[in-house]
Amino acid sequence: MNEMRDMRAAHTPASAFTFTGTWREFLPIALTNLLLTVVTLGIYRFWAKARERRYLWSRTHFIDDHLEWTGTGKEMFIGFLVVMLVLLPLFLAFQFGLQALVMRGEVAAAGALTLILYGGFFYLIGVGQFRALRYRLSRTWWHGIRGGSFQPGWSYGFKFLWKMFLGYVPASLLLPWSMVSLWNDRFNEMSFGPHQIEARADTDGLFGRWLLIYLAVIVGVIGALVLGFGIGASTGSTGAGITAAILAGLGLYVIVGVASLAFYAAYYRKVVGATSFGGLGFEFTARTADWFKLILGNIALVVLTLGFGMMFVGYRNWAFFVRFMEATGEIDLDHLTQSATSATSDAEGLADAFDIGAI
Amino acid sequence: MAEAWLYDGETAVRHAVEVEEAPCRLRIRFADGDTLDLGLDQLIHVESRSGHEVYGRPDMQGWRLGIPEGAVAQLAAVLPRRQRYGRLIDKVGLWPAVAACLAVSALVIFAGGKMPEWLAPHVPASWEKSYGDALVGDLGGKYCNGPGGQAALNKLALKLSPGAKDLKVRVVDIDLVNAAALPGGTIVVFEELLAEADSPDEVAGVLGHELAHVERRHVTQAMIRDLGLGLIVSAFGGNTGGSINGLLAAGYSRGSEREADRDAIAKLRAAGIDPLPTAGFFKKLADQEARLGGVAESLSYVSTHPMSGERQKAFTDSRQPGRRYQPALSRDEWEALFNICAFDPARKKAKSFNPFN
Repeated sequence: MNEMRDMRAAHTPASAFTFTGTWREFLPIALTNLLLTVVTLGIYRFWAKARERRYLWSRTHFIDDHLEWTGTGKEMFIGFLVVMLVLLPLFLAFQFGLQALVMRGEVAAAGALTLILYGGFFYLIGVGQFRALRYRLSRTWWHGIRGGSFQPGWSYGFKFLWKMFLGYVPASLLLPWSMVSLWNDRFNEMSFGPHQIEARADTDGLFGRWLLIYLAVIVGVIGALVLGFGIGASTGSTGAGITAAILAGLGLYVIVGVASLAFYAAYYRKVVGATSFGGLGFEFTARTADWFKLILGNIALVVLTLGFGMMFVGYRNWAFFVRFMEATGEIDLDHLTQSATSATSDAEGLADAFDIGAI
Repeated sequence: MAEAWLYDGETAVRHAVEVEEAPCRLRIRFADGDTLDLGLDQLIHVESRSGHEVYGRPDMQGWRLGIPEGAVAQLAAVLPRRQRYGRLIDKVGLWPAVAACLAVSALVIFAGGKMPEWLAPHVPASWEKSYGDALVGDLGGKYCNGPGGQAALNKLALKLSPGAKDLKVRVVDIDLVNAAALPGGTIVVFEELLAEADSPDEVAGVLGHELAHVERRHVTQAMIRDLGLGLIVSAFGGNTGGSINGLLAAGYSRGSEREADRDAIAKLRAAGIDPLPTAGFFKKLADQEARLGGVAESLSYVSTHPMSGERQKAFTDSRQPGRRYQPALSRDEWEALFNICAFDPARKKAKSFNPFN
C-alpha cells in the first residue's frame, strides 16, 4: 500500500466536509454534561464544552479523515480563572469609583469613567473574539497537524474598537463593512500547519441586504400602525385595535428577524467564500431559508422540551455548519507540516466572560 | 499483525503501517521496511473514531496511530481509555461524583448565604469607615447645618439608641424621600423625607430602622454579600459581567429588613414614641419609592425596599393601648430639624416651611 500524498478536496461527489454524528450517540454526553454542570454549580461547563467538542470534532470528516479536538476542560477553566482574576478587580474598582463620583456629584467625571469602562470592555470583546478563534484552531487537529496564530490579538482589539465604532456611528449603516473587514483582519492572522489563512472578502452585494433590515423596520412599523388604527377605527373598539397592533408588532419582530437572517446568510457565504488556505478554497452554501430552519428548529427544540433541548443546540449548530461547508482545490500533504505557532492555553476565558462566539 | 495508519505529527502524510504485538511493546512496520518499537508505556489512548482506536504519544504532539478496533487486543487491555467525564470524576465514578458534588454545592450555597452574617462582626470598624469615606466622602458637601437642627437630630438619635457612641446622623440636601445607612456607620436622612413627614414621630421610626441596620452591621453584611456572591455566582453563567452587575444591585436581605423593623419597634417603645405615625409614613414612602432616581440605583445597597403591608401592620400592632406617648421632639426642636437645610447659612436655598401648617 502506498502513501497518499495528494488529497483532492473535491474528489468525491459529496462535500469535502461531512458530519457523521447521531443524536443517539450524543445524548448520553449531553445528559451527563447537563447533570454534572448543575451539581457543580456551573463549574463543570468547561469540561462539558470540551467533551461536546471532542465528540463533534471526531464525527466531522474532512476529505479523508476526521478532525480531532484536543482542548481540555481544565485549561478552559484556568483560562476563565485568569480572566476573572484580572477583570473582576478592575470591574469592582470601576464600580466603586463610579459610585464615589456620583455620590460626590461629579457627574461629568462619572460619565467619562463610564465611557472608559465601555471602551475598555469593547476592546476586550475584540481581543476575546480573536483569542477564542486562535484557541480553537490551535486545538483542532487534522492528519496530526494543527492551526494557530502568531498574534496575541491585542492589536486586533484596537481594530475591533475603531471599526465597530465607525460602523455604528452613521446609524449603523457601515456595520457590514465593519464585520467583513474584521473577518479579514482576524482570519489573515490565523494559520493551519505552515499555511497562512487568507481572507479577501469584500462587501459587494451586502449593503442591499443590510438596507433590507431598515426597510423591514419601516414597513413593519407602518404596517403595525395602519393595522392597529385601521381595525380600531373600522370596528370602533380600541381593544381590537390594540390587539391588532400587538400582533402586528410581533409580525414586525419576525420580519426584522428574517431580514437580519437574510443579511447574515449572505454575509456568511461571502466571508467564507473569500477565505482560503494552502490551495484550498472554502464555500458556505446555506441560504436564508436554511438559516431560518436552523433557528426555528432551535427555538422549537428549546421551547417544546421546556429548556432541556438547550443541550442539543450546540450539536445542531455544528452539524449545520459542517453540512453547508464545502472545500475545493488540492492540498499537498507533504507540505502540510506542523504549525510553528505556540499552543497557548489561555483558552476562551475572555470570550466566555463576554458571552461571545469565535466564528 | 494488523494494518494501521500513522501520522508522525511533522507532516500531514498518512503512513500506511503494520502493527505487531510483542510482549510489553508494539512494533510498527513502515511501508519502506523501517520499523519502530514502542513500549506500551509510551502510548496513550486518545479516542475511538470510525472503527479505529486512536493512540498518541505524550512526548510527540500530533503523533497518531489508528488501529482497527479489536485488532490488537493486548493494547486495548493495557492502555487505559482516555478521560471520559474528567480525571477526578472517572476515578470515583459518575454517580458517587454527582452525590459528592451535590453535597459540596449545597454546603457552598448555605455557607455563601451565611458568610456575610458570619464575617460582618469581624470586619474592623475602621476598615468600613475608610471604605465609606472613600465611597461617599461628604456627599459633595450636601450636608445641611441649619441652627439647632443637628442638635435636635442628635437628640432624637440618642433617644432611640441611648448610650450609643459615635452616632453620625446627618441631613443631606437631596430630593429623596428616604434615609440610608452608609458604609462606615453614617446615617443620612434625605431632606425630602423631612418635608414629607408630618411629625417627628415619623422620622423617629425611620431613623430607628436605619440605626438598627448600623448596630446590627447589616451594611457590612450587604457589602460582603455584594462582593462575595458575585465571585461565586459568576461561575454560573457565561455572561459574567452581567451577573456581577445584577448582584451589585442586591441590597439588604429580607431577614435584615425584618430584624431592623423589630429593633425599630423596640426602640420606639423604649423611648415612649408612638409607632402609629411611622406605620402611616411607611405607606407614603412605599408610594414614592418608584420615584427613586439614579443616585439610589448607583448606591444600590443603601436604598430601602418597598414597604409591605406586613411591615405596616407590625408597627401598627406594636402600639400599646392606654399608654401615654410623648412627642419624639419638642415643637421648637422639630421646627429646627425641619428647616435644617432651608435655614443653613451656607446654602442659598430660599425655601422654608412651617411644619405645623
